[in-house]
Amino acid sequence: MVEQDIVVSNKLGLHARASAKLVQLTSGFQSNAFLLCRGREINAKSIMGLMLLAAGKGTLIRVRMDGSDEAAAMAAVIDLFERKFDEGE
Amino acid sequence: MSVGVLLLTHSGVGPALLGAVRGVLGPLPLKTAAVEAAFGEEIDHVVTRAAAAIRQIDQGAGVLILTDLFGASPSNVAAQLGNLACPTRRVAGVNLPMLLRVMNYAEQPLDEMVDTASVGARNGVVIDHG
Repeated sequence: MVEQDIVVSNKLGLHARASAKLVQLTSGFQSNAFLLCRGREINAKSIMGLMLLAAGKGTLIRVRMDGSDEAAAMAAVIDLFERKFDEGE
Repeated sequence: MSVGVLLLTHSGVGPALLGAVRGVLGPLPLKTAAVEAAFGEEIDHVVTRAAAAIRQIDQGAGVLILTDLFGASPSNVAAQLGNLACPTRRVAGVNLPMLLRVMNYAEQPLDEMVDTASVGARNGVVIDHG
């Protein structure tokens, strides 16, 4: 299992299209993927789980990956957050 | 083999929901169709259109029929459709969370999909305490 903290930095936060991109990404890995935020733990392969975090810009999120490809999955997720979900801002 | 999804709703509801879910997800993993029942429209006409839509989106795994209000004409039409053309299951109370969750579990068989849809819709209702 690997964990890493990240702050949501894109302007719109973890909104619907960003959540859909994250689900698409995490679903491509075998590892189980979780986000921990404000005491909640949700499955990062579930779009409604992500939506219910209502995580806006500036929210601290802990990413947890557990499985055979956890390192690659973590790197991909962190990269997506750091690219601001390819939204430009 | 995936299920088809038919939105059978009052005027304006189904196409708008499909537009929104496409806006979020892009191309959808399941075949979808929307049939609208106009106020005052002859029920038989709606049944005919809905049956045609079902035949179009069924790929052999059956069709999930999502209606907007239980007990209203669209859901009564859905109940009349039965299993004539292919297996169908019905869930009333369609909303955007329901549709998103259904698309998230696109590989599920029809019998499991009804619970997936129901849970998605219920969990999407949130009293926002800010």
